Amino acid sequence: MEILGSKELMEQVRSKGLCTTCGACVDICPYHQSHKGRIALTFDCDIAQGQCFAVCPQTEFDANELSELMFQVPFQNLPLGHYRSVKSAKATDKIIKGNFQNGGTVSALMMFALEEKWIDSAVLTGSKELVPEPVMADSSEDIAKCGTTKYMATPTLSLVNKSAREGRKKLGVVGTGCQMKASASIRSNPMNKDEYKDAIALSLGLFCTWSLDTREFLDYLKSRVGREQVISMDVPPPPAEIFVIKTENGELELPLSEIREMTQEACATCPDMTAEWADVSVGAFEGKPGWNTVIIRSQKGEEWVNAAVEAGYLVLDDLPDESLDHLIQGAGNKKKRADNAKHEEVQ
Amino acid sequence: MKDRIKYDPYNLIITGVGGQGNVMASRVLGNIFSAKGYTVTIGETFGASQRGGSVMSHLRISSESVLSPQIAKGQAHLIVALEPTEALRVLSGYGNENVKILCNKRPIYSGGVISGEQTYPEMDQLQEWICEYAGEVWFIDATDEALSRMKNPIFGNIIMLGALAATGSVPLEREDFEAVIEKSLPESKIGINLEAYDLGYAMIAEN
Amino acid sequence: MNILSTGEKGSRHLLMGNEAIARGALEGGISVAAGYPGTPSSEIIESLAKISKDHHLYVEWSTNEKVAMEVAAAASFARLRSICVLKQNGLNVASDFLLHLAGSGVRGGMVIIPCDDPGALSSINEGDTRHFARLLEIPLLEPGDFQEAKDMTKWALELSEELQTVIMMRSVTRLSHASGSVVLGDLPEFGAKAEFRHEGFLLDPNEGIVSSAPVEIKHSQQQEKVKKAVEKFETSPFNTYTGPESPELLVITSSACNLYSREAINILDVKDRVGILKLGTTWPLPEKLVAEHLKKCEKILIVEEVIPFMEENLKMLAQELAPQIGQKTLMGKRDGYLPMVNELNPDLVINAISKILGIEYQAVPEEYATGTLQKTFFGAPVREWIFCPGCPHRASYWSINQVLKLDNNQGFVCGDIGCYTIGTLPSGFSTLKTLHSMGSGTGIASGFGKLKPFGMKQPVLSVCGDSTFFHAAMPALVNAVHNKSDITMVVLDNSGTAMTGFQPHPGLEANAEGNDAIKLDIKSVCESMGAYVKESDPFDLDNTREVLFEMLEKKDGVKVLILRQICALSPEKKGKKMFEMAVDESRCKGEKCGCNRLCTRIFRCPGLFWNKEKGTSKIDEAICAGCGICSEICPIGAISKKEVTQ
Repeated sequence: MEILGSKELMEQVRSKGLCTTCGACVDICPYHQSHKGRIALTFDCDIAQGQCFAVCPQTEFDANELSELMFQVPFQNLPLGHYRSVKSAKATDKIIKGNFQNGGTVSALMMFALEEKWIDSAVLTGSKELVPEPVMADSSEDIAKCGTTKYMATPTLSLVNKSAREGRKKLGVVGTGCQMKASASIRSNPMNKDEYKDAIALSLGLFCTWSLDTREFLDYLKSRVGREQVISMDVPPPPAEIFVIKTENGELELPLSEIREMTQEACATCPDMTAEWADVSVGAFEGKPGWNTVIIRSQKGEEWVNAAVEAGYLVLDDLPDESLDHLIQGAGNKKKRADNAKHEEVQ
Repeated sequence: MKDRIKYDPYNLIITGVGGQGNVMASRVLGNIFSAKGYTVTIGETFGASQRGGSVMSHLRISSESVLSPQIAKGQAHLIVALEPTEALRVLSGYGNENVKILCNKRPIYSGGVISGEQTYPEMDQLQEWICEYAGEVWFIDATDEALSRMKNPIFGNIIMLGALAATGSVPLEREDFEAVIEKSLPESKIGINLEAYDLGYAMIAEN
Repeated sequence: MNILSTGEKGSRHLLMGNEAIARGALEGGISVAAGYPGTPSSEIIESLAKISKDHHLYVEWSTNEKVAMEVAAAASFARLRSICVLKQNGLNVASDFLLHLAGSGVRGGMVIIPCDDPGALSSINEGDTRHFARLLEIPLLEPGDFQEAKDMTKWALELSEELQTVIMMRSVTRLSHASGSVVLGDLPEFGAKAEFRHEGFLLDPNEGIVSSAPVEIKHSQQQEKVKKAVEKFETSPFNTYTGPESPELLVITSSACNLYSREAINILDVKDRVGILKLGTTWPLPEKLVAEHLKKCEKILIVEEVIPFMEENLKMLAQELAPQIGQKTLMGKRDGYLPMVNELNPDLVINAISKILGIEYQAVPEEYATGTLQKTFFGAPVREWIFCPGCPHRASYWSINQVLKLDNNQGFVCGDIGCYTIGTLPSGFSTLKTLHSMGSGTGIASGFGKLKPFGMKQPVLSVCGDSTFFHAAMPALVNAVHNKSDITMVVLDNSGTAMTGFQPHPGLEANAEGNDAIKLDIKSVCESMGAYVKESDPFDLDNTREVLFEMLEKKDGVKVLILRQICALSPEKKGKKMFEMAVDESRCKGEKCGCNRLCTRIFRCPGLFWNKEKGTSKIDEAICAGCGICSEICPIGAISKKEVTQ
């Protein structure tokens, strides 16, 4: 695939509303910068070929090449993407307790990776006064602080660029489908830059059906909860159709349809619910509270999960067939919706 | 008026970039010739021009009357350029094949050159072009000399005045310069300006 | 030693046009001079301020031109002589008061001196103030050289006092900022006493109230004064004719165009064919004098700047005179012999005259002209206006621009007049999107800030300088606060009227004469109006950015950010570097960096350039002012700064 520059990135992605706010282009250079959940070009840049274009999950890419790199197989268009196995999992008491969603599998895997030196640091999404922001975690305590789902688009991958510039290697990255795809591209080091060689050691994907426009949602949140401290947010499994906000004064249930309206534009055309380009993907296990669904994709991912289990950070269980079918159906539906949306756009 | 100007009126242009001391140089020269009994007219633009723009002073030295503060096209007798591309620019408006040019070689880059939208010509090429369209040309490194010998680039303009005297193009003597700056500058600045003047004089006289 | 102050009668000096006017005002016995800085007028007030003590003058930089006019008028009402000095834009500001002043009349001689800027060499318009004379119905004078600039100022003061009307004397850049020989006249004894008499009969011009009402009476009185002025104009020595008895072509001209016309006739060597009627009294025209000269020939060329003011008046007059002198052909701008925009020069006049007379004229051989033009095109890059090295405005716009881009809501900035006007150009990152008169950025922003009900969601900002703040931005700010307009006003406070040469303003502790003055604090002024105010040093990029984000976040009402840092050219800063800057060539990765030459391509400070051979950026020691900002913007910290110990 031809690598182009910032100008084309703007033309092909950002100006068309296709930017997912993954952050892969942010902080590479002084031009693409982010502020409060949005990415902007501060000045025109006329470089013909740029890392920004090369790693953007929304520019054209060679699926086979990326699949060979991550999974050593050619690309097959499967609902869940390539995987070795699907399990259910949850963290054990060995890990530091944080305020995490579902089974704590993400925190457990990242803490294990950090403590056992599989990675040097973890790139996560935390928040500062409700505004989600990229966080560099150097300890399990740091990881424990980032356990909740933010539901808002966050340019987390900007931290990969910042740490690459600082010469850091072996990062563990946690993110949604678009961010995993960008991470895989960064791992392929398309521009052949020294600072990106081995920059990412592990990538952990999060299931994602949509991500909210940060600014719109923050304004909404302010209007609903005022100055109350938000502790966590959650979307209970269907058919609940509600969005639950837990604050210091209790729980607030809001209609999910109202929330979905604030989804950022690019999510409508995203076909990837289960973060197909990660080493391991994790999501909720609908029907078994306190547990997660884990999709083990790469060989490295398999080794990672097994080692974490062996070290006592994580327990695994089989996933019932009907749950797997349900997951496949859900992921397939997202692909169909994305196809339709793309089709509508063309029309 | 012991030494005569070679033409009447004698049309002299001092050109450069805002901040190079163009106006000061033209005032000093104007006062020198005024003191010698000539009727001098100076036309200049300043104000906004300080902000990186080209600046030009037209000096007209006449034994008769006040003249237009703007010289007509092709009528310059001498151009003192504090910046080499400005010499070229002035040539295209006011030059002619007999015009004499005294040119400082230190470039000052325009915004477009700094940003890369425009290119600044190679010095050899620039000198060649200037020579092609002038009668007699002197190039000196006035700013570099001011920086290395006097630790302050601002003396470049006075170095150019000293050099101008040495070219013999206009009747200009050291005592004329001294008399004028004694009236316009504080005493503490006289010595260093004379030093700059002498430095410039030597740059032409000793070559 | 100051020639203006000590120069003896009969001595000859090389004076700038503005200095000649200042000396003329002294010779004319003024007691008061007021103005607002504006190129090309500023040196008149500056020159007088320097010698105010020796000549018992009161010289003031007023808050704006209207106030300056009122201050000068007060002196006149108290039977002192005064002048008011401003640039073309300033006359618009003062015009409301002037229309009243024309009606009320004056007591001590009072002359308004607008300095126009044909060609907009230092302006963003080339407004022709002569039209105000007709609108206001006051006599208009225009000096035709440097000697006249002095002599006419003195005469105008005397005439104003005699006729009891304010008089306008218009200069232009090429006179005000040019220099020529001037023979000095006598300086009067000073000792004029100020007294305002107001107890007399209502309509008594010397002892009644000063007012333009009752309008019918005062208006007719004013027209009578103008008629008397014309009588004087008929024999004025400032109207001269040079040329043959019966010329083939008569050039009628005024102001600097007089010098261009003379030059053109000399170069074309047509002294025996073309005559010049140089008018110093240009409105109303001296009819008899004009008639006498129109009789001389059939073809007349009118040479003036900028629009055909004299041409139109002459054409009207020629039509009235036609039965007496016959139908004449008047040429000039309306038929295209001369352009209606931009300043004139000898070549444009040469072109017009040679066309009319059928003379072939070529300044230089064709080959030389095209050759030098080509070489200039390739070899002399155009020099656009850029911020000086070390200019705080560059840093301010850097932050404003970044914040607006990152805010990503298509916010924009409305601007006005000052060095920061360069904000419309790449040197200011093209941040300014509207550009009009002083203070209008904030007024326009105030209007934009009320367009929410019509669907406008963009953040609205304005910028204005410290002097501009007091000049005309304050009423706009009051308007915005009172009407709950949602705007952020950024005051770019560089502690002086930098563009025109650091004249003081109400925010500083000294006045024009260098005496103690009351300093008005911009922050307190804004706060007392009810705005949310913060201050920041624009050289502190991080803080400035943070405060700007905070202001955008605070959606409702008026926010004011004062960015304070002294101008790099100010006397206290000039030539003193805060930092010694250097580019670490081993760290600057040049073209390979991925920064795409941010420091030179975008930041474009003249103190920093691209070293092609090495492929890195480089500090130009002869130019760098040592402000240190470039070291903040380099993404890999390849530009170092070392504090200079003074």
